[in-house]
Amino acid sequence: MSPTPLDSALHRFLRNLREIPEHFRASAVRGGLPSTDRTRSTFVFGNVFLHLHAVRAHRWSLRWSTTWGLGVTAIAAFLITLVTGVLLMLYYKPYPDVAYLSIKDIHFVVPTGRFIRNIHRWAANVMVVAVLLHMARTFYTAAYRAPREFNWLIGMALLVTTLGLSFTGYLLPWDQLAYWAITIGANIAAAPREVTDALGMTEFFDPGGLQKLLLLGSDQVGEEALIRFYLLHVMVLPLVLAGLAAVHFWRIRKDGGLVRPADADRRLGPPPPDTYPVFTEAPAKTYHLAAIVRGRTPAVGDGPEQTVPSMPHLFYAEAGVFMLTTLVCLALALVADAPLKELANSAVPENPAKAPWYFLGLQELVSYSAFMGGIGIPTIVMLSLGLIPYLDREEKGTGEWFGGPGGWPLTLQAIVVGFGAALLVEAVVIRFGWLREWFPAIPQLVITAVNPGTLLTAIYGGYSIWLVRRYDSTRAGALGLFTCFLCGFILLTVIGTYFRGPNWTFYWSPADWPVH
Amino acid sequence: MTVSPGPARSRLDPEPLPRRDFLGLASLGAALSALLFATLGMLRLPKAAVLSSPSKKFRVSLPDTLGEGVAYVPPGRSVALFRDGKGVHAVSTICTHLGCIVKPTAEGFECPCHGSRFAPDGSVVKGPAPRALAWVKVGGSGGNYVVDEDVRVPSGTKVTT
Amino acid sequence: MKANKLLLLLSSLGVLALLVGAMVQENFLKEWRRLQGAARPEAGGIDVRLRQIVVPALHVADRCVSCHVGMAPGEQAVAAIPALAPHPSVGHDPATFGCTVCHAGQGRATDKADAHGTLPFWPQPMLPKPFSYAGCGSCHTHLRVPNLAQVRLGRTLVERYDCLACHRLDGRGGTLRPGDGGMEGPDLSRVGATGYRADWYQDHLLRRVKAPAGPWRASFGGISKSDREALDVLLSSRVGAPGLVEAKALFHSLGCRGCHKVGGVGGDDGPDLTRVGERDPGRLDFTHVPGDATLADWLAEHFRAPATVVPGSKMPILGLDEEQIRLLTFYTLSLRRSDVPEAFWPKDRIQAERFGEREFATDGATLYGSFCAACHGTSGQGMRYPGMPPFPAIGNPDFLAVASDAFIAATVRGGRPGRRMPAWGKKDGGLRPDEIAQVVSRVRRLGGGATPVEDRKPPRWVQGDSKEGARLFTAYCASCHGPKGEGKEGPALNNQVLLVNATDTYLAETIRRGRRGTEMEGFANPSTVRPALAGTEIESIVAHVRTWEAGK
Repeated sequence: MSPTPLDSALHRFLRNLREIPEHFRASAVRGGLPSTDRTRSTFVFGNVFLHLHAVRAHRWSLRWSTTWGLGVTAIAAFLITLVTGVLLMLYYKPYPDVAYLSIKDIHFVVPTGRFIRNIHRWAANVMVVAVLLHMARTFYTAAYRAPREFNWLIGMALLVTTLGLSFTGYLLPWDQLAYWAITIGANIAAAPREVTDALGMTEFFDPGGLQKLLLLGSDQVGEEALIRFYLLHVMVLPLVLAGLAAVHFWRIRKDGGLVRPADADRRLGPPPPDTYPVFTEAPAKTYHLAAIVRGRTPAVGDGPEQTVPSMPHLFYAEAGVFMLTTLVCLALALVADAPLKELANSAVPENPAKAPWYFLGLQELVSYSAFMGGIGIPTIVMLSLGLIPYLDREEKGTGEWFGGPGGWPLTLQAIVVGFGAALLVEAVVIRFGWLREWFPAIPQLVITAVNPGTLLTAIYGGYSIWLVRRYDSTRAGALGLFTCFLCGFILLTVIGTYFRGPNWTFYWSPADWPVH
Repeated sequence: MTVSPGPARSRLDPEPLPRRDFLGLASLGAALSALLFATLGMLRLPKAAVLSSPSKKFRVSLPDTLGEGVAYVPPGRSVALFRDGKGVHAVSTICTHLGCIVKPTAEGFECPCHGSRFAPDGSVVKGPAPRALAWVKVGGSGGNYVVDEDVRVPSGTKVTT
Repeated sequence: MKANKLLLLLSSLGVLALLVGAMVQENFLKEWRRLQGAARPEAGGIDVRLRQIVVPALHVADRCVSCHVGMAPGEQAVAAIPALAPHPSVGHDPATFGCTVCHAGQGRATDKADAHGTLPFWPQPMLPKPFSYAGCGSCHTHLRVPNLAQVRLGRTLVERYDCLACHRLDGRGGTLRPGDGGMEGPDLSRVGATGYRADWYQDHLLRRVKAPAGPWRASFGGISKSDREALDVLLSSRVGAPGLVEAKALFHSLGCRGCHKVGGVGGDDGPDLTRVGERDPGRLDFTHVPGDATLADWLAEHFRAPATVVPGSKMPILGLDEEQIRLLTFYTLSLRRSDVPEAFWPKDRIQAERFGEREFATDGATLYGSFCAACHGTSGQGMRYPGMPPFPAIGNPDFLAVASDAFIAATVRGGRPGRRMPAWGKKDGGLRPDEIAQVVSRVRRLGGGATPVEDRKPPRWVQGDSKEGARLFTAYCASCHGPKGEGKEGPALNNQVLLVNATDTYLAETIRRGRRGTEMEGFANPSTVRPALAGTEIESIVAHVRTWEAGK
């Protein structure tokens, strides 16, 4: 038999077998390791998970003081809740009473169960805080201005979805805290009844009742409500949030990256020595390939090259913030247990029955007027927030903290006005009561129209309009109004959390609460 | 498509709808209608035809020892029944502010959620509650009554024992 | 970027450190691990892992046995460590029902503080060790328990007749039989449940005759009939948890059911106590209760001073000593009647709740002790509590000398509407006719057995001048009985049940003789402040009283 030729099929087969490791790697990771600028770009561009990022990031966007990493914190917290949430779903059972027992089991016998549940709860709180802070950052750096107006609205939708996720999750432990907080929440959803009742039209037109019924699936919090909230919490809202987040990130890309002052390139100083100037050779050319896009790319030929490859610069920043968020969540989880009170008991109302902390400011207002606190003021706030990018079309100060006419001194003044007005109104109401105490027969619609919530709104609105005229700038008015509402929100939340006891009466400390 | 060019047309004056496009449009329209109808149908799902909570109409018998002005709350129900010389009446214990269950007290009713207080006849004494507590329908006689929580009656209506 | 790398490095190291910390905490620092590990040096040691008793029908998953390993089925007890001791013999295997059904606490927990449940937000903390037997009340209820005097009499007789020479009873006594082993006589601690032969006495006598020298000759002797009956009463109450029976017997001696319902039977003045042992201490007011904020402490303090612990309470201070308070606390803690599925109900609970079997013995002494003693006194001497009208002395011989059995029975049955005496024959959870008859005969015995002279007159024979009677009434009677007879210091005379059932003879004789030892004087005799009343004057007063009778 003659020896097998070197290029025979058998040889080829063996050669193929030998080369599998290298060949496999080359087939899975195209484009080679990201060692040059070009391979760094293709690494990001060609990867399905990473290509939501732009290939290059502006150095200004990477400074800590630009964003404080709040957006990444929010999405990191979301990812943490996602992973811990899926783990919890292995044991949690969404049926009354059984839900409570399953959480007790998670706490006591599931390996790492207590830790995971605590992380989940803390990450959820961190997410809400991060989202609120991120909104404040975005506002104060005027990052909502053209072309980013719509992204601001997407962000508001994300805020609502985040609050919805937190609210739906709140019911799942099925303890006294959960049950009565959601009872309150559902009753607030029925707040339009305050108006339809006063107008005598509830029998024919009852949006409040319909909202409550759709939310609870019944007229009381029970097994129907639990399964609906569970569905919303584990599937519907996370998908909605993920979808909105994808749109949010995509829009950041297409809007030219994070907001920057117009002279950011100059202010940054010379780029690091190893930065390869990307756009000097083809100053008029963008790197967009096939998409027809309006808006500006990071840099096209003007000024020094101030962008750096996303891989590794942006990713180190994101990873750093992600791990910091993880560290904070883990540390909190080790130190403080997620609360779990007694099993939910519809016969024993909690007194005081408090909504989750981010709604306590609203609950404070609701205690004066259900409609205004539950529907009216939130609608006004949402509407005002949504209109900001469309009413403030100035350009001065974009990308700067407290940018725009007035700046930090105006913000400081607005802080004082915001806290001061809220404190004053609350002090008056707590000390002297409100309209019905003085005029027992007063019609309800008058109270709906004139109450601490509307009073504060009027004060803030008036102040804001005064600012517009004083500084001849819509931005100044927006700065004032936003800051006032932020401070008012904080003060009302603090009052609702620490100073309201049984029957929603004001107490200086929990030690003064009467025993049942 | 037409073979010979017709009279000059501007963009504002498009060709009449060719018949074969009618099929395209009709099919799309039908698909859209089908989807719309399906969606509207599905929108009916979240509101149940019957609620999982017990019926609002129920029988109750008052204990013999019930004194005047003393509230009797049937277990698990949100009404308070009273009996006096003029008859029996039922006051809803659902607070008109945010729907918490009020507690009968010596002076009337008290709501634990925001401190609303009501007189024994349900009228608001203090607090954020906007309206008086509803009086609900009571039927029957002789110690055995039927209460219908869903049906409101004017305040002051009593059914004779 | 360097800063970000540093941020990433430090955060990641921090995360690693925290994860290691969590791992150590969960896998090495748990109490139950240390406890089980401590048993290692013993022969074989214990397999270190979580343990639990699961009873799905009761929704129970009790992990108490992760620390109390010796109590789990098939596990080795370790003598040196108290927590690892085996479960005492109580007639139930922990594996059948789990632990928390009897002991309460948070069975699903795996840390001591959480498992014992003595922390906020757990409504059912574990029963304190001295009161562990109160857990029996979760499912059981002793039936036909007599009053304490009878239980104590039975015990005294058991001692006196030397039954313990052969028999074990409630952990005492009994002798080992020499030779073929076993006990001389059976353990009597549960014969009330398991039953015993009715002719035990005849059987004992026969054996005594037949037995050679030994305990039969030395210990057993004749027992009188009444003593035998008393022994039977005691033996019927032996169903296990003897301390609890004593506590319930005390409850049936102080008249508590006069104001409180238990199991649907009793008065309505006070709250229903059927499930008071399951009350959530987190919902109680401890401002006036010293010591720990536990239900046992609250109950005990409440027995000491009810109106201090519960402001506005009508329950008077009963003047109980500490042992009585301990027993009553024990009993009220046992009033649990937990929500267990009916398939798990023991016979006694089924008999009580489904067939209306009585939890108290139905002899007159126990009935009186259960329902009447708190208001009318343990000897029928009447009671006086601050802020309340005095309760009549129904054991008063002068009263009994004019009151017929029918009258007393009618009073018990119809009560005094509008006053404090409930209508025991008519109310929800009251007494049955035969029980009322027992009470009547007991009351008569309390008064020394005095019976009225046979009354030949018709029930209404008085023909007096009611106007004159009104004048006399205002002069001599109104100060105690009220101007319209509504009652003040003295009983209400305008009460319909009284007027319908009292004969004129009863009324006239009462006025004439008075009631010794009470404020009611014999008006036929003069006193220092008034002359004697003549018969016609007495009759006119009766006529006046009769004007208050409805239908006149």
